[in-house]
Amino acid sequence: MNQRASKIPPAAVAGLIVAVVLDTLVQIAWKRSVAGIPEAASVAVTMRVVLGSPYFYAAMLAFGAQLYNWLRVLALADLSFAQPFTALSYIAVLAISHRALHEDLSLAKAAGVALILAGVFLISRTPFHTAAPRQNAVKPSPP
Amino acid sequence: MTPKSAGILLVLAAVIVESFAQLSLKVGASGRPGPAAGLLGRLAAGRRAGFPPAAWIAAGVALYVIEIVLYTLALHRLEVSVAFPLGSLCFVGVALLSRLLLAERVGTVRWLGVCCIIVGTVFTAL
Repeated sequence: MNQRASKIPPAAVAGLIVAVVLDTLVQIAWKRSVAGIPEAASVAVTMRVVLGSPYFYAAMLAFGAQLYNWLRVLALADLSFAQPFTALSYIAVLAISHRALHEDLSLAKAAGVALILAGVFLISRTPFHTAAPRQNAVKPSPP
Repeated sequence: MTPKSAGILLVLAAVIVESFAQLSLKVGASGRPGPAAGLLGRLAAGRRAGFPPAAWIAAGVALYVIEIVLYTLALHRLEVSVAFPLGSLCFVGVALLSRLLLAERVGTVRWLGVCCIIVGTVFTAL
């Protein structure tokens, strides 16, 4: 199993790391662009506030880069392998907002972080790509 | 409907939309799905429904935008400690759809990993 896991192409590993970083940036920028909008605000007011926030444009820029990078990752790896890695951005967002709020990390949050890390570790041990069936088992159609 | 139950429905709708967005991006990114690529892959490669990869990617992006709107609306009605773990159900949705429609092999270890992540997000939101 370790042998299979070690076969992940370096480009996919790099792509997954970039995806987590960009996902974190998108989430933080998006949070900032909608922060301070009153709960009862109408759609029109919400739109005006969001479109007026520089964070919204930062979020869109990061979203575009994220899309480009994510398509490259998905070209290499299974969706059910790659997508759970984005859970690491939850941890990054948690860490960044905790630093900003100067809060102590509670025991529950620490346990949650450990569980997410364990989950991503388990998935990283699975084959990153479902192999196509053997040629003699299923006859592939000509290209 | 109370704001809370409306919020829960919005998050669940966002989860379903996001799962299909990911699926659509995967089909678009794969370009030419192999013979084992499942129902959706065969549809994408098939002669009857031969949408080009760009169409799948565009559909994925459109679904993503819808997801962001749904989730943002939900956050207005729910506490983060409820919305966040519910939103992480998209890991289940993606694993299920990858298994059913893309014929990806989702084994016990991968499911276990998904379960750990979901329980983990419940704890981080406490």
